[in-house]
Amino acid sequence: MARFVPEITLVVTMIGLLFVESTYSNEEKGSKKNFLYATAYIGLLFTLVKLIGSLGDEPTAIFTNSLTIDPFSTLSKIIMVLGTAASIYLSRKSSDIYENVKGEFVIISVGVLIGGMLLSSANNMLILYIGIEILSILSYVLASLKKNDDRSSEAGLKYSLYGGISAGIMLFGLSHIFGVVGTIQFAGIAGKLAKLDTVQIAVLMPSFLLFFAGIGYKIACVPFHMWAPDVYEGSPLPVTTFFSIVPKIAGIAVLVRVTMAFFGGADVTLLQMSWVGTLSVVAALTMTVGNVSAIGQRSVKRMLAYSSISHAGVMMLGVLCLSEIGVRAILFYGITYLFMTLVAFFITSAVQDEYGNDHFERFSGLIGKHPLMAIFMIITMFSLAGLPPLSGFVAKFNIFNALIAKKYYVLTIIAGLNSVVALFYYMKIIRIMVFKKSENDSGIKGFDFSYQVAVACLAIPVVLLGVFWENILVVANGAKIFIQ
Amino acid sequence: MNGTSNLLSWILWMPIIGVLGILFIPKAKENAIRMWALLNTAITMVLSVKLWMGFDNSIAGMQDAFTIKMKWIEQFNINYHLAVDGISMPMILLTSLLLFLCVLCSWTVSKQVKGYYALLLFLQSTVYGVFLSMDFFLFYVYWEVMLIPMFFLIGIWGGENREYAAVKFFLYTFFGSILMLVGMVALYHATGMGAESFNLLALKAQADQFIQMKVSLFGMSIPFDKLFFVFMFIGFAIKVPVFPFHTWLPHAHVQAPTAISVILAGVLLKMGTYGFLRIAFPIFPSATVYFAECIAALGLINIIYGAFCAMAQTDVKKLIAYSSVSHMGFVMMGMAAMTTQGMNGAVLQMFNHGTSTAMMFLLIGILYERSHHRWIIRPDGSRGFGGLYTQLPVYSIIFIIAMFASMGLPGLSGFISEALIFLGMFPVYTTMTVIALLGLLIGAAYLLWMFKRMFFGDVVEENKSYTDMNAREIFYMAPLCVAVIVFGIWPSPILNIMKASVNDLVTLLGKY
Repeated sequence: MARFVPEITLVVTMIGLLFVESTYSNEEKGSKKNFLYATAYIGLLFTLVKLIGSLGDEPTAIFTNSLTIDPFSTLSKIIMVLGTAASIYLSRKSSDIYENVKGEFVIISVGVLIGGMLLSSANNMLILYIGIEILSILSYVLASLKKNDDRSSEAGLKYSLYGGISAGIMLFGLSHIFGVVGTIQFAGIAGKLAKLDTVQIAVLMPSFLLFFAGIGYKIACVPFHMWAPDVYEGSPLPVTTFFSIVPKIAGIAVLVRVTMAFFGGADVTLLQMSWVGTLSVVAALTMTVGNVSAIGQRSVKRMLAYSSISHAGVMMLGVLCLSEIGVRAILFYGITYLFMTLVAFFITSAVQDEYGNDHFERFSGLIGKHPLMAIFMIITMFSLAGLPPLSGFVAKFNIFNALIAKKYYVLTIIAGLNSVVALFYYMKIIRIMVFKKSENDSGIKGFDFSYQVAVACLAIPVVLLGVFWENILVVANGAKIFIQ
Repeated sequence: MNGTSNLLSWILWMPIIGVLGILFIPKAKENAIRMWALLNTAITMVLSVKLWMGFDNSIAGMQDAFTIKMKWIEQFNINYHLAVDGISMPMILLTSLLLFLCVLCSWTVSKQVKGYYALLLFLQSTVYGVFLSMDFFLFYVYWEVMLIPMFFLIGIWGGENREYAAVKFFLYTFFGSILMLVGMVALYHATGMGAESFNLLALKAQADQFIQMKVSLFGMSIPFDKLFFVFMFIGFAIKVPVFPFHTWLPHAHVQAPTAISVILAGVLLKMGTYGFLRIAFPIFPSATVYFAECIAALGLINIIYGAFCAMAQTDVKKLIAYSSVSHMGFVMMGMAAMTTQGMNGAVLQMFNHGTSTAMMFLLIGILYERSHHRWIIRPDGSRGFGGLYTQLPVYSIIFIIAMFASMGLPGLSGFISEALIFLGMFPVYTTMTVIALLGLLIGAAYLLWMFKRMFFGDVVEENKSYTDMNAREIFYMAPLCVAVIVFGIWPSPILNIMKASVNDLVTLLGKY
């Protein structure tokens, strides 16, 4: 039970937030609103401290083995908590969320976080499903937070329709798996999978595909990605930021756990080959479709949304390696991806608040207006594209390393060519910031001092993790997966 | 740390100290920024000369006295490992000299001076990094980082079409680097369990092992060394640039500001051929021998194709850009011959082309400052330049020296290296050598035609207002003039540096 403290803290925080929120009217601002944010931050901070403190602990399974608390899940949770905290900060500053629903955003995002944390610790199919549902249902609300904006409503509707269908398909797959192997525990399933006969494998193969559809939808990989750009664009910007981190990391974490649990063993089975094969094709398509679609975008937010699809594809490459260095590479990728995404969205948010939209032209001449912010954006874009000595490069290098250790040369080359395509669109925003003249000389008000400090705090790791990555590597190395 | 001296680190980081210094100088104090950059490059040059003084010509491998090795990422066995040998030493000297001159020739740059010099120094550091790294990972980092300052230097301070040129340059090189990255990681894993390493010397020592290995690609079993040699080759060939990967070069050259053209042609192109000599050849010797004829043939295409393209140009800078393509073809052919003379000639040509082409670009820059165009013949058919000889006598004389050096006239530096290359090539590729000689002829033709049209004949009306070179311009042209003449008559100082290392490489390749 002691190991469940972070989650309990968040539940208590959420209840506390509900109380705070319900005690003041929408018109009221000031101290009570501050109190709301303070509650959220304290809750998240406490959770974070607890999580970091338990990073070195022995892995255990709790609640009759339905949840595992291991370094891998803890590290994923840390990434998610940081992502949530940053999104909440952004939501407070952003004018993209109406003042009267800011409280709701805080509460719901903490709820989504709880779902994500459950998901990353899931040790049986039921918890996995519950985690996904908590994550999803609350996300639908977040997507349509701009109540009287058509696109936001559309986003919410689209998200919930797609989400509902994919959850149904997944549940169908899960029940099939249960039917064949007779257990919902991951460890039990893994044990049974090794002893199946050909007929049973033939029956199971489609059920695993159905199961994958549910996870695939969560991490927005091809062909389940259709919802993502529209939902990302329709949602308010802080929500998009949140979506591109928390559900995605949770989805990847559970994909890693399931894959490693079921197919991480040494013996190569037909089922394992088809799972890895599916992941390979899906990862290659996800990277390519995400990148190619990002090229033509006019809105920076939409471009970032597509690029996050392609990053999910890259992270999947680490999964299909079925190796420890693959898992380590994913964790490293997740950490750097967190910082890079946040910097990009923070800067975009301030620009969008200033001009009312986030088209590329809005960034013109940013280097003249806010040199520091522009430089951070440049660094982040180069890092996202994977240029050394930035953290994005090291992340990519780690993934390549895992792939080549397994001799997956073709996939590596596909990933490599994709980064050339990615560089092209990341460079577009740099070109506009640096080479284009600004339409007007007025600065961007959103970049006040505290905001600049926040962006700097996020951008500095983007650089530092590219040079001093030994320590993070050690942490990620220790993040073993535990299944019981 | 192996060595007793930190000299290589000082050379590598001095420009970065320069960048940091510039950041603290107020934007408005443009002259202070220029002086600081000049001082910084001067110090680096002194350090490079000091390195040269301490350099032991008789050692074929890395000079232990200067080697620096520190742990960086222990888990991957990645080290901060710098060393210098006879192949990198001339490149260091060349870089130091050219960067110093580039600061001087950029004195007239008035747009965002602070950013310009900061990026220029940053670029210098990355170039040193490429030439000094003995760890493949470190090498790759510098190889890639170099793109960032170049991108901005072309994109902000370049000509009208600068953005297109900058993007094309960036994407092209990045594409090549990605292939190199895949090859690099594959090599790392091929070095064996537990002893994986990015150390270039260790990789070289394991060359025999790579020959045995196979790679399965699309169900086919492909020899490991051949596949990744091709990957590395493309990565480096784009930088050289070898036909058909050369199309970024004319754009980048024409759009880049003078100093950047000088660095591009003088130093950056050599990074490609240096990569062959440092990485592709020693680590994959058997594949090198296997593909030698292809490399020679590509070199030949470069020579002839580049020369014909140069001949068709009406823009002087583009003409010189294409002549670089042609001249780098000689380097490629000399390397592919894999004979002592050929290889020595190739490395010497890398150095000599660096000085002579830098002269040409600097001279074009000087003319451009006066005329603001570079047309030999304008698009409307009228002459852009004419009769410059009577107008600008000093300029013309220096131009003649540069042109003849570039053409390979005896007594000037280009001749020695080209002669060595031809000597080395003839016994191996007799037919190709004869065809390549044609390249020299075409080279003489386009340069002389260019000279005739620009310097002889009636003076074009607007050329009459041009002033001759000023003291600053003469000052920065002088070292290059001295270099092309001195090394044309007495090439031994440079040849001696490289001889042992190059012969070592030739012996290595000879075994396969």
